[in-house]
Amino acid sequence: MASLTMTETHVTDSRWIARGVERISLSRFLLCLAPWFVLLVIGVYAAGLCLFYGLNQTNMDNRFAFGLWIFLDLGIIALGAGAFFTGFLVYILKRSELKPILNTAVVVGFICYSGAVSILMIDVGQPLRAWFTFWHPNTHSMLTEVTFCISCYLLVLSLEYIPILLRNRQLRKLPSFLIFEHQLHKLVPVLAAVGTLLSFFHQGSLGGLYGVLRGRPFAFRDGIFIWPSTFFLFILSAIASGPSFLMLVTATVEKVTGKRLVPPDLFRRLGLISGVLLAVYIAAKSIDTLIWMDFTSPAMGFAPWLSYMHKPFGTPILFAEIVLFGLIPAFLLTYRRTAAKRGWLLSAAAMACMGILLNRFVLTVQTLALPTLSFDEFLTYTPSWQEVASFAGVIAYGVIVYSLSYRYLPLFPAQKGDETHVSGR
Amino acid sequence: MFPGVDGFHWTAGHIIFLGLFFAVAATILTTVASAAWRSARDIREDRAAGLCWKSDFAELPVHDRRCRHELAGRVISRTCDNAFNCGSCGKYAQFAVLPARGDSNPSGLNYPDDRLYSRDHTWVKVEPGGTVSIGLDDFAQHVLGTPDSITLPEIGSEIELNGTAWQMKKHKQKIRVRAPIEGTVIAKGTQQDDWILKIQPRRDVKDPLTTRHLLRGPEVRGWIVREMERLQLQLQPLNTAPTLADGGTLMPNLMDSLPHADWETVLADTFLEA
Repeated sequence: MASLTMTETHVTDSRWIARGVERISLSRFLLCLAPWFVLLVIGVYAAGLCLFYGLNQTNMDNRFAFGLWIFLDLGIIALGAGAFFTGFLVYILKRSELKPILNTAVVVGFICYSGAVSILMIDVGQPLRAWFTFWHPNTHSMLTEVTFCISCYLLVLSLEYIPILLRNRQLRKLPSFLIFEHQLHKLVPVLAAVGTLLSFFHQGSLGGLYGVLRGRPFAFRDGIFIWPSTFFLFILSAIASGPSFLMLVTATVEKVTGKRLVPPDLFRRLGLISGVLLAVYIAAKSIDTLIWMDFTSPAMGFAPWLSYMHKPFGTPILFAEIVLFGLIPAFLLTYRRTAAKRGWLLSAAAMACMGILLNRFVLTVQTLALPTLSFDEFLTYTPSWQEVASFAGVIAYGVIVYSLSYRYLPLFPAQKGDETHVSGR
Repeated sequence: MFPGVDGFHWTAGHIIFLGLFFAVAATILTTVASAAWRSARDIREDRAAGLCWKSDFAELPVHDRRCRHELAGRVISRTCDNAFNCGSCGKYAQFAVLPARGDSNPSGLNYPDDRLYSRDHTWVKVEPGGTVSIGLDDFAQHVLGTPDSITLPEIGSEIELNGTAWQMKKHKQKIRVRAPIEGTVIAKGTQQDDWILKIQPRRDVKDPLTTRHLLRGPEVRGWIVREMERLQLQLQPLNTAPTLADGGTLMPNLMDSLPHADWETVLADTFLEA
């Protein structure tokens, strides 16, 4: 009985934790989160400096306008695509076997998009005038479409998050909350469809930027009708890396908690989806690179190999993007024998995510570093501590929100299948 | 850019882009408004109890959701996925015809055969004239002993199936007892009565579907044996090796005898709280 009393003394938030699940004591949980809270506070302070004093707190300038923040934005928005793509697969294509990962996909998507919007607000500045983009939209700007779509999709993700939030053990005791959760949950397929449309267009719009970037021959792309090839490559790469990122997040949580959270076969399914899409993306990316080398770049008066003359951005980075973090993970994710082994599967998923991050890095930092005029020089850029701290603050925010969601919300519902075994009589 | 803003003029680009954007925004807002309107309608039309029960049921641990046919030994293993609504279960007829097992005595507890039992430890007895009495079963009475307080609904009020029938308090634990049947409260029991409420059922009790969701016969015995096992596991001190109890009966007033046990969990399992 003494041990029972002791447990009760330590776990003071047990009323908020779902029944039948084991969680560490509140004090240990807070201790684990403490470093992330510290990082978040530093990040908020750095962001405050940027908002108060302006972008002179960063190492960006008129020439180097895409720094760590835009790289982070493009990267996490691509990795967060697992949310809309999983919703699309479950609700529109009726792939119900992916349901066990749906809640975690929504939370990961919410974290990625809210983090991206926060960083964008610091980058754009004047957050109190954020509504200007809606009331005075520049309909000729790609950024306007991106802002509209991301804002709407963040709203959709928030609405998808609400039913998960309302299933908290204490919140569900309020009948009106529970009924609203029930009704909203029934309408989630509508939100999933809207989310798919929005995500499709804003992932594409982010890539579409390179169709108007005529001053940057390394990144400029022609395309089909009004859409440059990067419009489609961004969509493809995002839906290829999203499932891999979900796998990595879930595997990390399984490792940290020591629990099996999803059916073992689910990782293989996600891996197969990710691998096939990655293969398609790499094929399209290779064709796009060849077209750029043979037609687009020469047409603008630039020999393509000149873009790879500047260290450290030589041809190895192209090799890494297409082969090391493209073809190899695509093979490992789809080949039956390697996909059957968890270690290979997760390594391949990590490589796929790194490949997409590398692509976004190339299209932001490398693109701006390369000289474009005869008197230009190769630029180097090192982010200031304020940029790094804001970046780290977003990562900390993600870890904290996910940890709180995992502790208090049903992110991984138990298997509730019909396990009927009729006796032999 | 918009009307009222200096220099604004509509172009095809504005119409297409803003039209699409506001269509999407309108869809999102309509979805939320629709969910809110449906929720208000459900509350207004007294569907809250049923919806809350379905949602709660989905959150119950697997051991609380065993099928009645498993409890009776008609099938080896089956998890209910229909919120114990046997009246609308497609598999009910298929399994109900199988012979039952599990005729063991439910640990000395009193479960008369003239009553039907709900999984949240209430019983229903059909009285002459078509009314029913409902009360707490022997297991729940042994666990709770005498409640510190009990709040009964007013005579004439309606209670919904799986909604709140009455509430109790014991050692600062709030206990909600779910209604095993829907109807109008026509009488409240006193301490001397073994029943707690008398109900005029909304549906005819002679219709088997009205009480099909309630356990009976061998199902009750199989269920109580499992409930006893669960209780023993939950009440054994932490960090002790599993032990096999041989025989014995449930002592009365368990909550008073073991005040430091994890009663929140025990009561949640007993009264099917999520």
